Amino acid sequence: MDPATLLAIVPAAFGGVIWGIVGGALPGISPSITMALLLPLTYGMDPTAAIVMLAGTYVGAEYGGSIPAILIRTPGTNAAAATVVDGYAMKEQGRAGEALGISLYSGFIGGLFGLGVVVLLAEPLSTVALAFTPQAYFALGVLGLSVIASLARESLLKGLMAGVLGLMIATIGTDPVTGLNRFTFGSAELLSGIPPLLVMVGLFAVGELLAQSGETGWGQTVAERARIRFPGPAVWRRIALPQAIGSVIGAFEGMMPGGGGAVSSFLAYNEARRWSRRKDEFGRGSPEGIAAPEAANNTVACTSLVPILGLGIPSSNSSAVLLGGFLLHGLIPGPMLFVSHSDVVTGLFAGLLAANIAMVAVGYVMLGPCIWLVSRPRPYLMAFIYALVVSGVYAIETSLFQVAVALAFGVVGYALRYFDVPLLPMVLGVILGFMVESNYRRALVLSGGDHLTFLQDPVSAGFLIVAALFLLGSAARHLSRASRRLHEGAAV
Amino acid sequence: MNRDLAFGLLGAALAAGYYRLAASIPQSALADGVGPRGLPIAYAVVLLGLSLILIGRSVRTRNREPRTRNAEPGSQHPAVRVVGMLAIGAAYIALVPWLGYVVTVAGLLLAVTWYLSGVVTRTIVLVAASGAVVFWLLFVRLLGIPHPPGFWARLF
Repeated sequence: MDPATLLAIVPAAFGGVIWGIVGGALPGISPSITMALLLPLTYGMDPTAAIVMLAGTYVGAEYGGSIPAILIRTPGTNAAAATVVDGYAMKEQGRAGEALGISLYSGFIGGLFGLGVVVLLAEPLSTVALAFTPQAYFALGVLGLSVIASLARESLLKGLMAGVLGLMIATIGTDPVTGLNRFTFGSAELLSGIPPLLVMVGLFAVGELLAQSGETGWGQTVAERARIRFPGPAVWRRIALPQAIGSVIGAFEGMMPGGGGAVSSFLAYNEARRWSRRKDEFGRGSPEGIAAPEAANNTVACTSLVPILGLGIPSSNSSAVLLGGFLLHGLIPGPMLFVSHSDVVTGLFAGLLAANIAMVAVGYVMLGPCIWLVSRPRPYLMAFIYALVVSGVYAIETSLFQVAVALAFGVVGYALRYFDVPLLPMVLGVILGFMVESNYRRALVLSGGDHLTFLQDPVSAGFLIVAALFLLGSAARHLSRASRRLHEGAAV
Repeated sequence: MNRDLAFGLLGAALAAGYYRLAASIPQSALADGVGPRGLPIAYAVVLLGLSLILIGRSVRTRNREPRTRNAEPGSQHPAVRVVGMLAIGAAYIALVPWLGYVVTVAGLLLAVTWYLSGVVTRTIVLVAASGAVVFWLLFVRLLGIPHPPGFWARLF
């Protein structure tokens, strides 16, 4: 890697981590929202630096979430919910600094482990994908969409509906084969379709802003001052096993569709308690109860890159926004990325290493400003986030039309939250819609309209079978859960 | 009406509207076997089917669930606050070409803080004004984004 690139990515990693810690520390602002807010600002940046900054934001946000979790018993992110239990108990015992130090140190260990997994797995996965035909790409898109089944935990039906709505949004603009305009209503701005970035900023950031503005009874919280204390050798030895447990669980969960930081944190917490010699201390301020979930969620921040870099498929909200960052810079994540933009991949790996190192230094320095920010009245924060959204979206193409589109998708995001519909299926539909349609039609042109071509291509057939199994498995789980509920209702 | 039923009806209406638009896409001489309206029509049919299943399921379960009130008496419905927030965003889009970025973003900061807190204090005005300057420095000076200068640019 040349020194100029290195000079660009190190500040980007630091900047991303700072932004991520601030966003993660604000309750209600998830890592995906923090990343979505930053996304438009990266438009004019060098692509590698931009991707590193977004990845650094994800890394920083996972640590930032633990700050309010420990200090005010309010997790800044979903993944920090498991940290609340022992983190706040330690704070009550006057050990807030020690709890923050364990969180930061465990996140660093988890992040390094996750980076190792990404470096080892992403490229081999992508070399398999180099032999892909249009049939295989179509099937890969279908496999990506089948992720919806595992994301829509409560309602498979509503998740599927959101996915189809996303596919519909992806059809707006010029037809990929004939060049005809579809659903543009004569608007020149819609000819190139609706950029996934606007959908994400609208659904995640504006939607959350609107949802929070609809809430009442905001209490102002004041966080006490604290200083980070890194663990000593005795605590270091004690938290080594929980960190290992958290890192391994986080590595698997990060790569699994719908896994994410929250699931991995709770799994890691439970496993750490099961393997601990001091089980009774859990829930009463155990350092192990902080180390395991914090290592897990920072591992997830790295390993969620494996399906993006290897196959071009996001596995969570945050990784979908990261994928949006690749698309914004004209980079198509997946098999060809290692061939056509290997410099970006190498830069990303180096940037992730820098981000994890930066997290330790920045985490120490940023604690004071984060405590100040967490204690600000909520209306000020909401006003500044709103201003950041409208200014950032305008910055992409200096278009007020795009600002209006982002606000419109904010309304969609608010409505989906109101109806308890998961957001990620719609984002997946928008991102994968073009890939699915263009490759489906290309494959049919090549095969003379024979649909069996999707089963004759071995890679395509394999993906379709896995997608079908995925959907059938999820449907069976949903049906058995529904029938169990029905029986319980009848018994009552 | 429960939320699933409402979402099902909304989905069905969207599917019907989208189908009408998809069916009106002209066929091209360059079209492949599927054509530009092939998948859109398929999406509309799938969405309609899923919506009908959701409507059926929610109607079946509606009678078993206890009726709940939607809002506390006297409380402002959340949707009203949401509409207000959107109106502030719409006003920003309408005014920024005329008033310029700094003034409009200051107005947005002031309006949102006032709208959500219910008060206007000297601190709020100061925070809005200084916040606008920070945004101008970040976006216009540092990132070089040509945000609209407004009519002020013609005066100086």
